[in-house]
Amino acid sequence: MSDLLVIGAGLSGLMAAYTAVKAGMRVTIAAKGLGSMHWGAGTIDVLGYTATQPELPVKRPLEQIQSLIQQNPQHPYALLTNEHIAQTLATFVALSKDIGVPYGGATNPGDNVLLPSPAGAARPTYLAPKAQLAGDLSRSEPMLIVGFEGMRDFYPELIAENLTHLGYPARAAFLPLKLITNRRDSNTVQLAQGLDNKEQRALLAAALRKIVRPGERIGLPAILGMDAHITFLAELERETNSPVFEIPTLPPSVPGVRLYKAFRGHLQSLGVRLTAGLEVISTQTTAPNGVPGAVQWVESATSARPLKLRADKFLLATGGILGGGFNSDVNGRVWETIFNLPLTIPQERADWFNPGFLNPQGHPVFKGGVKVNASFQPIGANDQPLYANLWAAGNLLAHSDGIQERSVEGTAVATGVAAAQALSG
Amino acid sequence: MNRIQTEVLVIGGGATGTGVAWDAALRGLKVVLVERRDLTHGTSGRYHGLLHSGGRYAVKDSHGAAECIAENQILRVTHAHCIEDTSGFFVVLPEDEGEYPDKFKAGCEAVGIPCVEIPVAEALRREPLLNPRISRVFEVPDGSSDSFLAAHATAQAARNAGAQILTYHEVTSLIMVGGESDRRVAGAVVHNVVTGEDTEIHADMTVNAAGAWTGKLAAMAGIEITIMPSKGTMVAMNHRLVNTVVNRCKSPSDGDIIVPSHTVCVIGTTSINVPEPEPLRIEPWEVKKMLEEGDKMVPGFAQARVLRAWAGVRPLFQDTYTSGKGRDVTRKLALLDHKEREGVAGFLTITGGKWTTFRLMAEATVDDICRHLGTERPCTTATTPVPGAEQGHYWVGHRLHEIEEKHLQSELVCECELVTRTMIENAARRNPLLTLDDLRRDVRLGKGPCQGGFCTYRATGILHEMKKAGSWEVNMSDDASSAAKWEVAYLQSPGHNLVSDADSHEDNGRAANTADSFNPNLLLRDFLQERWKGVTPILWGRQLKQERLDELIYMSLMNVDHLPDKELSSPVTEFYLFDTTPTAEEVADV
Ligand SMILES: Cc1cc2nc3c(=O)[nH]c(=O)nc-3n(C[C@H](O)[C@H](O)[C@H](O)COP(=O)(O)OP(=O)(O)OC[C@H]3O[C@@H](n4cnc5c(N)ncnc54)[C@H](O)[C@@H]3O)c2cc1C
Ligand SMILES: Cc1cc2nc3c(=O)[nH]c(=O)nc-3n(C[C@H](O)[C@H](O)[C@H](O)COP(=O)(O)OP(=O)(O)OC[C@H]3O[C@@H](n4cnc5c(N)ncnc54)[C@H](O)[C@@H]3O)c2cc1C
Repeated sequence: MSDLLVIGAGLSGLMAAYTAVKAGMRVTIAAKGLGSMHWGAGTIDVLGYTATQPELPVKRPLEQIQSLIQQNPQHPYALLTNEHIAQTLATFVALSKDIGVPYGGATNPGDNVLLPSPAGAARPTYLAPKAQLAGDLSRSEPMLIVGFEGMRDFYPELIAENLTHLGYPARAAFLPLKLITNRRDSNTVQLAQGLDNKEQRALLAAALRKIVRPGERIGLPAILGMDAHITFLAELERETNSPVFEIPTLPPSVPGVRLYKAFRGHLQSLGVRLTAGLEVISTQTTAPNGVPGAVQWVESATSARPLKLRADKFLLATGGILGGGFNSDVNGRVWETIFNLPLTIPQERADWFNPGFLNPQGHPVFKGGVKVNASFQPIGANDQPLYANLWAAGNLLAHSDGIQERSVEGTAVATGVAAAQALSG
Repeated sequence: MNRIQTEVLVIGGGATGTGVAWDAALRGLKVVLVERRDLTHGTSGRYHGLLHSGGRYAVKDSHGAAECIAENQILRVTHAHCIEDTSGFFVVLPEDEGEYPDKFKAGCEAVGIPCVEIPVAEALRREPLLNPRISRVFEVPDGSSDSFLAAHATAQAARNAGAQILTYHEVTSLIMVGGESDRRVAGAVVHNVVTGEDTEIHADMTVNAAGAWTGKLAAMAGIEITIMPSKGTMVAMNHRLVNTVVNRCKSPSDGDIIVPSHTVCVIGTTSINVPEPEPLRIEPWEVKKMLEEGDKMVPGFAQARVLRAWAGVRPLFQDTYTSGKGRDVTRKLALLDHKEREGVAGFLTITGGKWTTFRLMAEATVDDICRHLGTERPCTTATTPVPGAEQGHYWVGHRLHEIEEKHLQSELVCECELVTRTMIENAARRNPLLTLDDLRRDVRLGKGPCQGGFCTYRATGILHEMKKAGSWEVNMSDDASSAAKWEVAYLQSPGHNLVSDADSHEDNGRAANTADSFNPNLLLRDFLQERWKGVTPILWGRQLKQERLDELIYMSLMNVDHLPDKELSSPVTEFYLFDTTPTAEEVADV
């Protein structure tokens, strides 16, 4: 029996579990998949663009959040003060150092940093793995973007051309893929694992030393080791005598996997029980009329038979449509899959989309979600909590489109920590 | 203005137009074909994919049924690799019982369509997902056809016989000569939509094979012909829920055929009169209706994952407007000799018909051309296989088999559809492209469950590398003699695209400008929007989740909405931007 059962092992679920276990609770995490960390850039985007100025990257996200909230008073960030958001991010940064995947930000504290995207665009982010930070586009050294011939998830020519076009000088170079692997069909995670090997690392360093020009910094796909990446990065910088940085690739995301693995290991060492591959499929609740009900247990599908998971408190962090927390059907119904919590998503397909894939206003279907009160408890029509022992955090919260705003991870960290503080307080 | 002189000018790069070019070139005529976009941009790329046995027309239109079975047997030889020999069932559901099934059997017999009633148990063994409540099953030689590959193969056969195929060339006016009493079409002015250049093509005979647009072309010659555009919507499911074509054994109506096609199966269609051949909207009720009808034949169909929806227009030809619901107006081929009809010489219109009968339509057309040119040359298309036919029929495991046999796993750029890097490189070189959509038609790029989520970026990166390496320009010679070297037939075959064929030469009119106008960011944006356009009508459940993942990749990770060159557009950008999201009124109608 746990004090807290966290459903979902994305960034918000992990941050909530961390906060709760630090507060002395016994915590279990049940998760179906691996969360969107495995698909993204591995950075902590707090706020990158706003609907009022979709073309301009946000310069100072924490300050800009104030005007975001003025436009959208129900935004999840509005549940926290600025100082509180800053604290949660500081918690994350400290944790990242402890667990060996250190994160950092712009030279000027509080600014977003612009980093090269795998398409060669400048992506604004607030915190990035240390391994990406030398890609900071405000630095003046020209970039040498190095790829591997035949690697299907990374295109240095495209990156270099677009960066140059945007005013950030860059050139591209290729190394043979066989320098780092014998298997041409390796995915990014396998390539990274291969580069944990010392000899392979030495070969790559030697090859890079030959092609880099003095004064350049080197950008490589984010595959520079899985467990040994910090050491490897230092080796490469020493051997090439140049700053070296990673650029994220198509999924699976090595930076995301590194963070997840280290985070999970750390939580387990703190006594958190984490079972992946456990899909919660149903729940037993009491719901007396008018008064908040209570969650008694949730049931998960295991290979053999359903497993009842009991806890005093439950935290839902299943991540909305992308995470699998919501499902939808042809009739325009969108529902939360475990507790059937009310959603702010329009229940009419005609109201789901704006025209165009890359519409700067986003799509309403992706903006809605679970409404919570100031202590992160899901609420019903009368604004009262639906269950006395249920909380929610992360990208399933209503009134924000994390992908459009580039706030997916910032929302996860801030609300994950804050919800756990609320429920353990 | 550039000037080209030819004997025959064919307008339209669909099944019919490519068929006419092939036939005429085989008969030794000098041919130029022009198409305003890519081959199969029109109805031929938006049809249902059924190689008709004729069964569908056996009761009401025995003439059409007879044409189908004859052509079915011919195409199985001439275009073998474009056809999957799936066979076809006509199934009798409880609500379809009555006189129709016996009439159907008799109708098939009357025109010579092999039709065998098989035990229900056998049908269920072969197609376990079929509705177990069916009472009778008839088996006929239906098949599944790939019009994209077929158009390429037919066009290549035409090129090999000397024809010139110009894609992205739009006819903007016809060249009219003569006075009131001896009017004649002497060719056309075509506009290269990529370079903006105009060319005068002078021809002895001009063939209007513009599908649903034939009326517009005829109007350029001052001729009024009534084409009633009738829209049909199709919905592709994520899996092959059936491996046999399944037809309802009843009077043809909406959503009564399921065709297995490559890795998916497609249900269709609706039939709705529309004022114009484009743009076409897919309405929510159409999708819903398709799923409901599919569920009757295959219970559970409506719950399966939906991949995509598209719509095409039947160019139904009517000499005079009568009442006419779409399905009752003739779908027979109509060859209009405008000299006889309106006194305009040098101009033929060929319309109506089916994909299955395109070869026959071409034969009739070129017979008439020869008559007008005063020459007698027999048609040979019925016995002349196009390049690639020697591979035999398509079968669904063929790509996987070749990938495994040749160990090409590492080369895969599109894991869903098993497209290798070399397939993309060769397709791009030999059939240079304006958009990734062209590659989608060529090699099925982006047609799988992720609808371009991974391969859009990869294909863009690969093409950009080719451009940088200059390996694209290599082929920019007009050495026509080597055109035959390229076997377009193997376009879709991973096992035949093992080496990147950097010195192939292809002059199809686009080559000369593709690499110059290439912009990777535009390519990315256009294709993302193209894929979006065809999924909005079916976005819910797992496909909605998939779309959100694609957003994460292209916005959060790649930031493609903030790449340079935002102001650039291609000649097709606007087409892709056509808004396909369902409207409130449409949803309310359901
Ligand atoms: C919904 C639907 C389902 C169908 N299913 C089947 C089926 O399962 N089996 C079957 O056998 N048949 C089927 N058909 C019929 C079949 O698809 C058509 O008969 C066939 O594709 C028509 O080919 P086409 O070449 O005549 O026309 P199209 O393919 O439309 O070709 C005409 C071409 O002309 C071009 N063009 C137009 N104007 C100009 C211009 N000014 N300059 C240059 N080019 C121009 C267009 O871009 C177009 O590519 C279906 C039809 C529909 C609508
Ligand atoms: C036999 C067959 C099998 C197929 N199998 C698959 C498959 O396995 N996977 C897959 O992804 N796709 C499949 N397709 C569909 C294919 O990917 C395209 O959707 C189809 O060829 C239509 O082309 P498109 O992409 O230009 O139009 P789409 O992207 O399909 O266009 C869809 C939207 O655009 C609208 N539209 C259509 N015509 C016009 C027009 N002229 N102007 C403006 N808007 C228009 C439609 O109404 C619709 O809303 C198949 C098609 C065929 C014919």
